[in-house]
Amino acid sequence: MLRAFDGGLDGLFAMGQNPAVGSEHSGLQRRALSHLKWLVVRDLAEIETATFWKDGPEVRSGELRTEDIATEVFLMPAASYVEKEGCFTNTERLLQWRDKALDPPGDCRSELWFMDELYKRVRAHYAGSERERDWPIVNLKWDYEGAEDVLREINGYTVADGEPVPGFAQLESDGSTACGCWIYSGVFAGGVNQARRREPGDLSAPGGWVAPEWGWAWPANRRALYSRASADPDGRPWSERKRYVWWDEGERRWTGYDVPDFPVDKRPDYEGPDDAQGMDAISGGDPFIMQADGRGWLFSPSGLLDGPLPTHYEPLESPVGNALYPEIAENPAALRWDRPDNPHADPGDPSWPCVATTFRLTEHHTAGGMSRWLPWLAELQPEMFAEIDPVLARERGIEDGSWMTIASPRGEIEARAKVTDRIRPLRLGERIVHQVGLPWHWGFGGPHPGDSANDLDMLAGDPNVSIQESKAFVCQVRAGRRATGPGVLAGVHAPPPGVAPNRDHPAERRPHR
Amino acid sequence: MTERAIEREGAQRMGFFTDTTTCIGCKACEVACKQWNDLPSDGAEFRKGASYDHTGELNARTWRHVRFVELAERGEPAPTVDVGAAVAAFDSWVFMSDVCKHCTNAGCLDACPTGALIRTEFDTVVLQPDVCNGCGYCIPACPFGVVDRDRIDGRAAKCTLCYDRLEDGLEPACAKACPTDSIQFGPYDELLDVAARRVGTLHGRGVDGAYLYGAHDAPEDEIAGGLGAFFLLTEPPERYGLPAAADSPIQQNVIPATLSAVGAGLLAAAGVAASFLWSRHR
Repeated sequence: MLRAFDGGLDGLFAMGQNPAVGSEHSGLQRRALSHLKWLVVRDLAEIETATFWKDGPEVRSGELRTEDIATEVFLMPAASYVEKEGCFTNTERLLQWRDKALDPPGDCRSELWFMDELYKRVRAHYAGSERERDWPIVNLKWDYEGAEDVLREINGYTVADGEPVPGFAQLESDGSTACGCWIYSGVFAGGVNQARRREPGDLSAPGGWVAPEWGWAWPANRRALYSRASADPDGRPWSERKRYVWWDEGERRWTGYDVPDFPVDKRPDYEGPDDAQGMDAISGGDPFIMQADGRGWLFSPSGLLDGPLPTHYEPLESPVGNALYPEIAENPAALRWDRPDNPHADPGDPSWPCVATTFRLTEHHTAGGMSRWLPWLAELQPEMFAEIDPVLARERGIEDGSWMTIASPRGEIEARAKVTDRIRPLRLGERIVHQVGLPWHWGFGGPHPGDSANDLDMLAGDPNVSIQESKAFVCQVRAGRRATGPGVLAGVHAPPPGVAPNRDHPAERRPHR
Repeated sequence: MTERAIEREGAQRMGFFTDTTTCIGCKACEVACKQWNDLPSDGAEFRKGASYDHTGELNARTWRHVRFVELAERGEPAPTVDVGAAVAAFDSWVFMSDVCKHCTNAGCLDACPTGALIRTEFDTVVLQPDVCNGCGYCIPACPFGVVDRDRIDGRAAKCTLCYDRLEDGLEPACAKACPTDSIQFGPYDELLDVAARRVGTLHGRGVDGAYLYGAHDAPEDEIAGGLGAFFLLTEPPERYGLPAAADSPIQQNVIPATLSAVGAGLLAAAGVAASFLWSRHR
């Protein structure tokens, strides 16, 4: 988005995403959107990302003028989850196929339909081109008739006859097989959509709770990784009650309730020769087969950009210094964008004496695109609020249920005050620091609008996977509604001169200060 | 017998047992109820002083309502982070999914002049909107403030215990949606047993304040003759907005009430005997 802001990105597809209120430092996100040439939004409702150019806070304040925003916005109605078929893959690696329950209304379409149609139209546009750079577009294999065709291709198949491969072990590197993604290979084994299986486990049978025929887990339908660890070095279950995978001496193979995550015929007492390579070097007693030595690691000298052991740093914005390492307040490996339009406060800055955190409510989903537009959910949590403790409320003259304003170095929002003993002040050294709890489900659009907590947080990420730091930042609060009019939104200035470095990926990170 | 319909011949009484100790305040029951019964939103109004409760009450458009009760210590909070105290404070954020009680002595039913309110074959109290003339007598007759007239058509409305679902052998929408089984549905007698066991379990775990509201009471303490939808509470009833004592205001049924009291007394005696046996086993 910074590239969009700085003028290096022409267009954006926002599919099931609402960065205008759902992404950190959303004031900056909206300004970045206003620098795009085109923007496609596919969603269930006319969400804020599709309307920022006419009713965003910057437009209302006069800082941006609609007639100056050249972004061409295409709003496409999307099918809901019951109106399309496809796969969910959960964090436990389970793939579950979902059938379409009914047709989407009107012009609403699934993402699959949209992408399929988009590519076909692009290809038609390029038809007949003989330019080398167009070759991939003209010649791309693209012949899907339904969602299962996509899953079948991800599974992999033998090129000669198109038959699905049983699993990744049958994939070849000589071009005789093709596969969309090896970890999912086997999901279409036998030409059957294994993810669509809905056979519950037989809880009366031993190990029935594993339910291996409910959906399909990657890889190879293994429900638990490193499951050889459920048996002792001799291959016997550590616990009869919790037996899971074990060595069957009679059959001379690993067996159990799950697909064993171990070479199935490697004896528990196997020791590789001294010059063994790869899997052969891992003994029969070492379950962690994806590690070079087959062992579980507490100390990880490689793979992470920080670590190897946990320690304590303060958040990038904190009212106090780091008591553990006074000379290093923040994680030096953190991903951060130090630029004038992403300002942050120094530790202990008296302008920002409180700390804010963001959280979710049961009644709403993320930035509210799927819930704020529904009357039955909106009535349960109708307005943006901020939770503060009674001491802070008394100090600032804020009454329960009344309006209050929360400001951070990035911006300013208003919310209803929810004064509650559930929020506790913190004693940090000699100081009492008050906490402000902010649900982040609201935005300026729809039938139940409210200010977005993401207008307050900053662009920052953790070193490894760029998870945003929206759980801790500094703020100030006061009674009453926020100011309106030009110049009231803090924090965004002209982009820095020159080409901004690409800092979207940890590998391209600029050294910290 | 008089016209009072405490029981319907051949009926198997069905009810709700709502266990507030397992309620997580998700409000899925409110939404499931509105979806099944096609009830509109009651207006999106931010309510102050009611924790996370913004629907506020049972009324013609809200037939399940989750009340949030914050029980942190009042007065000057200590300006420190005391993890133990904070955890304790969270423990005392209690939720109760309130609903029509389907009373044995149903004041609304007693007051209804048109026969719109009936006792069903499930011993539940159901309002037939096509018979209701909107007189409103049922509203002050309900000691729990459950019945309400719709602001548009003027007719009374309340929970039917999903009469239409029961007829098809389905459990009510709220109980179906409840992810923690805080709302349990079933034959009333079975629910009474389940609830008594649950209270015993909680007492065994040191939750001494757990008790049933509207069930297993001595005859003189019965709430509206016993509630078809009863509750397990851990705080005084008033903290959940429930009256400590309640009955149908209609006094014309003294004799049958006495008869039922005798029956209930016998039941209670059996209960006392059972509790003696139980305590000897401890």
